[in-house]
Amino acid sequence: MTWLETLRTGLEAVRAHRLRSALTMLGIVIGVSSVILTVGLGQGAQDQVSAQISALGSNLLVVSPGSTTSTTGVRGGFGSSTTLTLSDADAIADKSVAPEVAQVAPTTTGSVSLIDGTTNWTTSLVGTTPAWLQVRSRSLASGRFFTQAEVDSGAHVVVLGSDTASQLTRGDPVGQTVTADGATLTVIGVLKPSGSASTSTTSEDDNAVLPISTEKAITGATGNSVSSIYVEGKSQATLGAAYAEITTLLQNLHSVTANNADFTLTSQDSLLETANSTNKTLTVLLGGVAAISLLVGGIGVMNIMLVSVTERIREIGLRKALGATPRVIRRQFLVEASVLGLLGGLFGVLLGILGAQVLPPLINQPVSVSLLATLGAIATSLALGIGFGVYPASRAARLTPIDALRSE
Amino acid sequence: MTAIIELSAVTKTYDTGVVKVDALRGVNARIDEGEYVAVVGPSGSGKSTLMHILGCLDVPTSGTYHLAGEDVSTMTEADLAAVRNRRIGFVFQQFNLLASMPAWRNVELPLVYAAVPRAERKERALAALAKVGLAERADHKPGELSGGQQQRVAVARALVTEPALLLADEPTGNLDSESTTDVLNLFDELSALGRTIVLITHEHDVAARAGRSLIVRDGSIQLGAPA
Repeated sequence: MTWLETLRTGLEAVRAHRLRSALTMLGIVIGVSSVILTVGLGQGAQDQVSAQISALGSNLLVVSPGSTTSTTGVRGGFGSSTTLTLSDADAIADKSVAPEVAQVAPTTTGSVSLIDGTTNWTTSLVGTTPAWLQVRSRSLASGRFFTQAEVDSGAHVVVLGSDTASQLTRGDPVGQTVTADGATLTVIGVLKPSGSASTSTTSEDDNAVLPISTEKAITGATGNSVSSIYVEGKSQATLGAAYAEITTLLQNLHSVTANNADFTLTSQDSLLETANSTNKTLTVLLGGVAAISLLVGGIGVMNIMLVSVTERIREIGLRKALGATPRVIRRQFLVEASVLGLLGGLFGVLLGILGAQVLPPLINQPVSVSLLATLGAIATSLALGIGFGVYPASRAARLTPIDALRSE
Repeated sequence: MTAIIELSAVTKTYDTGVVKVDALRGVNARIDEGEYVAVVGPSGSGKSTLMHILGCLDVPTSGTYHLAGEDVSTMTEADLAAVRNRRIGFVFQQFNLLASMPAWRNVELPLVYAAVPRAERKERALAALAKVGLAERADHKPGELSGGQQQRVAVARALVTEPALLLADEPTGNLDSESTTDVLNLFDELSALGRTIVLITHEHDVAARAGRSLIVRDGSIQLGAPA
């Protein structure tokens, strides 16, 4: 008996008990589709975070103040102090001290109400230097960015984020003026959307970027502390070296060691790692639960196959009397179990893909169906069918034709 | 005449672990090609055991059994399956047709295990059905046929491989008298065409249709008188 013939017999047996086969497959269908959806959800969230982080800039390092340890031993939280200064930024920009650094953009941030005629819009105010545009991988939709000369002179110019521009002005905002804390600023450019999805609290597209000197003048800030220093490394390969250079430099400048450092240096990689490790844990956990349900589905297949062997004991006896060898009988039941597993897997994949289309708008989370997870789920369901079919199949094969025929 | 069946000193002992039952105690028999033989005997006589051994469904504990010249008494299960497939056509009391398949698919079943190509299988199955007078019922499922018709489908299935031996185990046990006559007439026709038929029965009027009877009693054959 050929494999093709065996496959045909298996398919016939599955078809002959439609309801039972469908219910048996249901376990596998649910298992496979939930594996696909959970892995897809995890993958989708990971992709989203990766996109957001890489939208921050390429080869980006961020120096933030904080991690101070006071004399009483109380360790201040991330970003809680004002230990970073413009001179730190100048030092990092010094090619002889930190040769792997390409550009440096010291940045101060605050919140401000911008007024354009009758419209009032609260946005985040970003004071920085011309390097910011490239360090943060941004580009302009219209107009121009401010120059170093405008930073030096404290010119009253501003570049608006795309969301801010559309909230504040109608038509081309370039050339119009907005008022911030009583100071009149001329809009000289509008940023292109950053491409990273916004969160409810911060948006890379809702801000007003202006020379750092102007920002300090408007907000009335004294001293030369900055909120953060964005640093662009020369290349991805030397980012580690840049990281080390900046760490050593700032430790020397601030007279601190790694144990009591008053700054925090983060790279995109470390941000990605943190974000992804959380996601991964969740994905593994959910995927594990889904895998267990797949296993339960497999046990269902075994259960039904055992019932099927008992129920079809006369058929087995007859087939043996007509010349089926034990091997052929074993194969027949194995194929039947594999067909149940495989069909369940295929339907599960269909359901999973369907879910991946329907679900994202409902839960506002992207679901990316991974080819690997899909193929893996199909292979697993086939393996489950075979694995859990072996025992029932060999039971069927071991039946002697007389006993099988005699059974009523 | 060539011998289809040659049994010499065949014994069969069932060991249940608690008791040993001697179902056959040294059976000698010879059935020639073209013979129509009835095996008769009361229940518990060893008649069924003999049928199982004749049908290669079981092997003797001792002694030898030659089927169409081949010693089958020491064969493995897989080899026995091949012998059953090639040499023996079974007709059972319960018909044992697969309910989900139409008549012709039931008839082609032995050919599936003989690895005959599909197209040829269907052709031969239809030819066998025609031989038992059911050509126009080929697409009917067993449930749509009368008992006598079902048994004739079973006979067609037994004949489809052109076996050396037609082995019928109480073939009329589940049939009314009209169907019984029907099936027995079919056996007569087949016998007239030169088929070797062994018919196991406990009904004397059925046995009377055969050329001779082997009477089994207490695990041995008592006499083989012409009927």
